[in-house]
Amino acid sequence: MSEYQICTNCVMDTTDSKITFDENGICDHCRTFERDVLPHWHTDKSGRSELDRVVEKIKKEGERKDFDCIIGMSGGIDSSYLTYLAKEELGLRPLVFHVDAGWNSQVAVNNIEMLVDKLGLDLYTEVIDWEEMRDLQLAFFKSGVSHIDTPQDHAFFATMYKFAEKHKVKNILTGANLSTECIRNPLEWMYYQSDSIQLRDIHRQFGSKPLTNYPVTSILRHKVYLPYIKGIKVLRPLNYMPYVKEDAIKLLIEKFSWQPYPQKHFESRFTRFYEGYWLPKKFGYDTRKVQYSSLIVTNQMSRTEALEKLKEPALDEDTVKQEFEYVATKLGITIKELQGYMDAPNKTYKDYKSQESIYSAGAKVMKSLGLELGGKR
Amino acid sequence: MLRPRIIPCLLIKNNGLVKTVQFDKSKYVGDPLNAVRIFNEKGVDELMVIDIDATVHNREPDYRLIKNLAAECRMPLCYGGGVKTVEQIQNIISLGVEKVSISSAAIYDPELLTAAAEKVGNQSVVVVMDVKKKKFSSKYEIFTHNGVKSTGLRPVEFAQKVEALGAGEVVVNSIDRDGLMTGYDLDLVTQVRDAISLPMTVLGGAGSLQDIKQLINKYGIIGAAAGSLFVFKGVYKAVLINYPSPAEKDNLYS
Amino acid sequence: MITLVNYGLGNIQAFANIYKRLNIPVRNATNADDLIDAEKIILPGVGAFDWAMTRLCESGMRERLDELVVDKGCPVLGVCVGMQMMAKSSDEGVLDGLGWIDAEVKKFDEAAFTQKTHLPHMGWNDAMPRTTDCLFRGLEDDARFYFLHSYYFVPSRERDVLADTDYNGPYTSSVRYGNVFGVQFHPEKSHQWGIQLLKNFAEL
Repeated sequence: MSEYQICTNCVMDTTDSKITFDENGICDHCRTFERDVLPHWHTDKSGRSELDRVVEKIKKEGERKDFDCIIGMSGGIDSSYLTYLAKEELGLRPLVFHVDAGWNSQVAVNNIEMLVDKLGLDLYTEVIDWEEMRDLQLAFFKSGVSHIDTPQDHAFFATMYKFAEKHKVKNILTGANLSTECIRNPLEWMYYQSDSIQLRDIHRQFGSKPLTNYPVTSILRHKVYLPYIKGIKVLRPLNYMPYVKEDAIKLLIEKFSWQPYPQKHFESRFTRFYEGYWLPKKFGYDTRKVQYSSLIVTNQMSRTEALEKLKEPALDEDTVKQEFEYVATKLGITIKELQGYMDAPNKTYKDYKSQESIYSAGAKVMKSLGLELGGKR
Repeated sequence: MLRPRIIPCLLIKNNGLVKTVQFDKSKYVGDPLNAVRIFNEKGVDELMVIDIDATVHNREPDYRLIKNLAAECRMPLCYGGGVKTVEQIQNIISLGVEKVSISSAAIYDPELLTAAAEKVGNQSVVVVMDVKKKKFSSKYEIFTHNGVKSTGLRPVEFAQKVEALGAGEVVVNSIDRDGLMTGYDLDLVTQVRDAISLPMTVLGGAGSLQDIKQLINKYGIIGAAAGSLFVFKGVYKAVLINYPSPAEKDNLYS
Repeated sequence: MITLVNYGLGNIQAFANIYKRLNIPVRNATNADDLIDAEKIILPGVGAFDWAMTRLCESGMRERLDELVVDKGCPVLGVCVGMQMMAKSSDEGVLDGLGWIDAEVKKFDEAAFTQKTHLPHMGWNDAMPRTTDCLFRGLEDDARFYFLHSYYFVPSRERDVLADTDYNGPYTSSVRYGNVFGVQFHPEKSHQWGIQLLKNFAEL
């Protein structure tokens, strides 16, 4: 039984069982950031000019079309800020693309509306078949794994790529960014959501409805086929300029009456429940440690502040009780059944079929080609 | 001062929310429970939820769904779809629903209205008339079974009849305007409004808040219901639940 | 502890949900035994007067309620028809009311309305409280609720009126006589205004 240890620089600790520390007690997440990410992350003039170059290309490619790119929009801070940036600062003509998996919070819906209205942009929503989503989510609960938000995440990407391919849109913009996500959730906490083999195996074992309308993608499809064969590129503009979360929030509130969320990803009620309660309670994995650590190494948060916040649970007892009941009701099960899944033995992605070998091989290739910085481990 | 009611209307088919165009071509809108939850948080005046399959398939109301929806509403909820008996009405009301809407049953079994009003009070008995003009006709007619079965009944006369029988509210639903978002059918509204003294709600055709404002300006106290307007956004009819803010609502009343 | 009188009429579930979210314990009373130790009572009601009175008497709770409210001074909140039942009689029916407040219930006189008004009175309207130290605390500036009724409460004593509402002329929308409170509107279906009022009742 190894002892508890926490990084002296960020707040990642031994709840990430693969964490290692150097002689100064600094963890490998920090070291990877310093060594692999920072040197290649340009938010200065060089970054901006690279961004401008790419943007020009996008504008040219989309000249006679109704829109020149699509932005995956969840209503969260990153995608909201990106939407503002794309239209107002980069002069693009994006189609705002939103995937409704059935768990939108009122705040998210409101934020999307504010942005779309005030920026005068067009919105496209893809609604995932709720009965299939519900069944798939339930299957993940039954499987006992920790990455039970896979059905939502997988659907978001699959749907967006499907749309891009169908409408021959070459450019997808996402709010993914190093500023708040340079340190990633350990694989053990959140396995690759794009692994369709894992998804299908869990569905086969615990699902009861066929996946007819639910969009399934695969890592090969969206890391190889779509970009290299179909020429669909994913751009992360927030990595090419200084992106300070606090400033972004302030701007959005001021310009759009945007409403902030208490924590990252809380725009989805399910994710709020999952990251705020289920994951920490059942597995001891607190995603705030990952998020705060990213903010710490990018100097947007002090370690002291992070430690202070981590002292309290993300969701208070009353909220947990309400949300527990809502999630159970929505999934069509009783509170007792949901509690049963909570109490069942913990499983990992290794307990089910997966394409992990492809991911590991792929990650090595990407890294050696300089195509990806950092990355999950 | 009593305010006009602005009412989102949700249609359920196969357990999912849908939106139709002229009672046809249903587009999937998502999970009813989450939509109701969002509307509740937006503080809507009132909500209508209609199961559009129940009559056609001769099904019982889905009591579990009704109970779950009602639990999310801190505002009145009106539920309808396949309601045929007083017992069903009482059951639905007991699950926490304020009003029950009756459509085809009001036509084929009008005494149901009186019997129901005696038990649950007429304020909880709502009659919905699905109305359209038959081809080559300039007269409005009531249709049932999702706009397919012609009844030969005229909305004005029928509205007067149900008022006398014990209905507490009449909803006029224009099949012709459904989902088109080109505005309410004000001719139809005027005809029925002038004929009865019950509270009335109008559904079918609202395309913008301006349409609602126009309706309120013309008729004062009235229920302005809409499906597409509160569920879709923009030219691509992107599903996004929306509802006027308190400030926007005040503007609609003035 | 709030005791909800469940005699088969009224949106018990809605009251229960609200108090649950407020973390205030609630008991669902379906018979006289359930009323033992009641500290505060809510009497909901929907539908016709006679039918409501009949159901209440058939539930077996009538006598115990009279004891609690009249003899023991237990605070009670009558909602909509629940409030109307607390009067002596109603134009809507032939049965006697509970008589906990000296009042009658009359039907809105459509003929006397100056403008075309409809019955039932249906929708969101304002309650104008005459005092804000009990039920209407925190609702001084904005007290809007959902109304759904065709009959209205007429207390004999002016001082029992707690709030007025305008529907083609003012009428009593809330009353108080000692421990007996009544609201004509539906606080359980009036969003944050209703929640505040129900919270106030629990905290009295």
